[in-house]
Amino acid sequence: MRTYIDIPDGRRARPRRIVTRLRLLALVTAASLCAHDAFGQTRSSLFDAIDVGAQAIGVVTHVSPAVNSRDMTEGYLSQPVIMAHIDPWNELFTLKAMLDFEGATLERGELNPGIYGEGYIDRRHPHTYLHELVVSSAKRFGADGVSGVSATLGKGFAPFGTDDPMSRPFEKYPINHHLSQILERVVAIGALRAGGWIFELGAFNGDEPTSPGDTPNRDRYWDSWSGRVTFVPWPQGEFQASYARVESPENPDGGGADQRKKSASVRFEDVQHTGYALFEWSSTSQYSGGTKSFTFNSFLAETWAKYDRISGALRIERTERPDEERTTDVFRTAVPPTDVSIAGRSLWTIVTLRAAASLLNTRSIILEPFVEVARARVSPTFQPTGFDPTQFYGSSRIWSVSIGAKLAFNMAHMRMGRYGVAVPRRSAGMGDMHMEGME
Amino acid sequence: MIRGLVLLSAMVALACGSDKTVTQPPNAPGSLATIGEGIVNERYTGEVNVRGNVAYTTTWGPRDTFGNAVKIWDVSGNTPQLVDSLIVPFASTLGDVQVTDDGLLLVVATERSGGSIMIYSLSNPSKPQLITRYTTALTDPGVHTAEVQRVNGKLYAFLCIDPANGIPARLVIVDLSNPAAPQQVFTAAMGSPFVHDVYVRDGILITALWDDGITLWDIGGGGHGGSVSNPVQLGNVVTVDGEAHNVWWFHNANGEKKYAFVGEEGPGSIGFSARGDIHVVDVSNLSAPHEVAFYHLDGAGTHNFSVDETRGILYAAYYNGGVRAIDVRGDLSACSASEKSLDGRCDLRMMGRELASGPAGVSPVYIWGVQLVGGFVYASDMLNGIWKLGQVP
Repeated sequence: MRTYIDIPDGRRARPRRIVTRLRLLALVTAASLCAHDAFGQTRSSLFDAIDVGAQAIGVVTHVSPAVNSRDMTEGYLSQPVIMAHIDPWNELFTLKAMLDFEGATLERGELNPGIYGEGYIDRRHPHTYLHELVVSSAKRFGADGVSGVSATLGKGFAPFGTDDPMSRPFEKYPINHHLSQILERVVAIGALRAGGWIFELGAFNGDEPTSPGDTPNRDRYWDSWSGRVTFVPWPQGEFQASYARVESPENPDGGGADQRKKSASVRFEDVQHTGYALFEWSSTSQYSGGTKSFTFNSFLAETWAKYDRISGALRIERTERPDEERTTDVFRTAVPPTDVSIAGRSLWTIVTLRAAASLLNTRSIILEPFVEVARARVSPTFQPTGFDPTQFYGSSRIWSVSIGAKLAFNMAHMRMGRYGVAVPRRSAGMGDMHMEGME
Repeated sequence: MIRGLVLLSAMVALACGSDKTVTQPPNAPGSLATIGEGIVNERYTGEVNVRGNVAYTTTWGPRDTFGNAVKIWDVSGNTPQLVDSLIVPFASTLGDVQVTDDGLLLVVATERSGGSIMIYSLSNPSKPQLITRYTTALTDPGVHTAEVQRVNGKLYAFLCIDPANGIPARLVIVDLSNPAAPQQVFTAAMGSPFVHDVYVRDGILITALWDDGITLWDIGGGGHGGSVSNPVQLGNVVTVDGEAHNVWWFHNANGEKKYAFVGEEGPGSIGFSARGDIHVVDVSNLSAPHEVAFYHLDGAGTHNFSVDETRGILYAAYYNGGVRAIDVRGDLSACSASEKSLDGRCDLRMMGRELASGPAGVSPVYIWGVQLVGGFVYASDMLNGIWKLGQVP
């Protein structure tokens, strides 16, 4: 016999939750601003306070089979971005911005077997033109130079999961992108760092972008939230755990399936910035009302090392993907979906190898040719299923080879996905940890 | 380091949920005899509509190929025989199909890459001839269902349009008096976030509006001045758990029109799982509908209905639960305390009203639609094709 419990409608309860979250953010903001020495630490010149950079990757990708036993070869201008970082007053006011022109260069999406999201499947979707525009204000305290509080507001990353794949070694994205990051949202984030511990809490809009020119829906602001705890025990390593509640990400008008997301990771990078490793687990459960429907898990390990001008990288990923009904364009799915069902769920195991060489690697310009080879194995996890990968692709094993080159100008290659005191710099004066030659 | 590992371990330990197995729907007390099966295995099968000895089934989404075919079956014998297929261009899913009450027209809804309805002449029921394809900016991105009914003698198609990026779902009503030149007579955004289906009878329109429940409209029979081109809202009820997908307004053999059955379409994975109850709404007062009972099946969810109104038997497509036959005679709101849920609704299953299920002994199935015609129950099965079943004895 069923038992019915009178659970209040989550959407009706939203205003109270929002008020609570905003109060918390206001407290953090006030603490940050009031504690600051107003404008007393202006950088020596405006020029020093502004970093501007740009990059683009030209790449040709061959996938076998891409669909229906058919191979495909395509070329792209991928990740064409311009970024700016302005910090005139020693973190009192920091602006971070990134324009992404993939909407113009990647409208059809980039072949990337297994990836999905925002109406694309097996092609990576273009990101929005205004990829990131946030302002932060931070106040450091304590002798270690890293402890402090900060507040961040703007369009960017919610405090959840790991760094954006754009700032990691590979050109091809891992297919867990929509499980492991929440981005391109209007965010309000408060952060506290105490020694090796970093705590972040943020509110944002749940709706995903629906096109490169899309902007977050105003009536969805602050309907979702996330929190992240990071522990930095020593300069070379960090541990991260985070949780998010995202309302109706795939239906911009609301009413679609909600998501509860979890992430945990360990990240290492040597002090010389010549070696890096990331171990990541993430999980997203979909909810219809208060009832869980489907869960999608991902494990990912990746490492990168550099010797002189040569670098190599290895990524192993095992991710479950929702398979949604495709349109007459087999690389697209309906946005929003017409209900809360899926055609099936598939498990992707992908091994990706990368080799690259820095032909030019000056302080301001990087020219780095690369090759990436990936082998994916895919199988349905539900039987019977409305999506049989072997039937659809023509094989359960898919190869992908990409050859290209990255050209970057004055890119700081910063970590992407953290703001204010949540950027895990090690101590005063070290700056953000970054990896030369990585993007 | 240790604290970090503890943090990481705690997150992983908390998380490892699995949904690789589901509860198998239990068998019903009786069985619907399996008479025959028409196999479709190159496409997923969608809706079914039968008139006389001809059945039409639509197809859904990509399998070996797109769901762009209407299968035409001769169902005069025990085993449905495929006699022809219509291929609809520029469509990947055909979600709905219906023959008009006079048997002259076949209307097919298309989704994705431009929504439309295809209108065919059935002068030869086995060889439908295209009259026209009706598509406008308001039928994009897809027509999820197309209910064709007559109101005050005039034929209309009620089209439920999918939401698009930033554009809400909507209902479009089209006058089919001249099938070669359909005319839109009404449109309005509705549903939260979907309008999935409608039911039209006696000049009353009932819309299934997902989390907004069902709304009853006077379109000519409600006595409130409503018309097809100007529907007047009479009442609304949000059924428990929302996700109102489809409706059947039950007129029993005594002429009583007390109950509407509402299908709840919860999350499902094709072939594997489904969820959602049948909700019984008392609509004796059209302005104050209220839910009085429900039917729940563990491990499965409902989809479309067909009702034997003479005998008082509801046949419900139940996806992975097959077809379920439920006794809906009498007062569905009267039950003992042990047959009630905590919120006071009567549980039809606890009341022993489940009669039979089918196709017996066949697994897996994923039943989309069902129709009772000529003493047989025809069921469309996404995985297998079309079933011809016996009715409840």
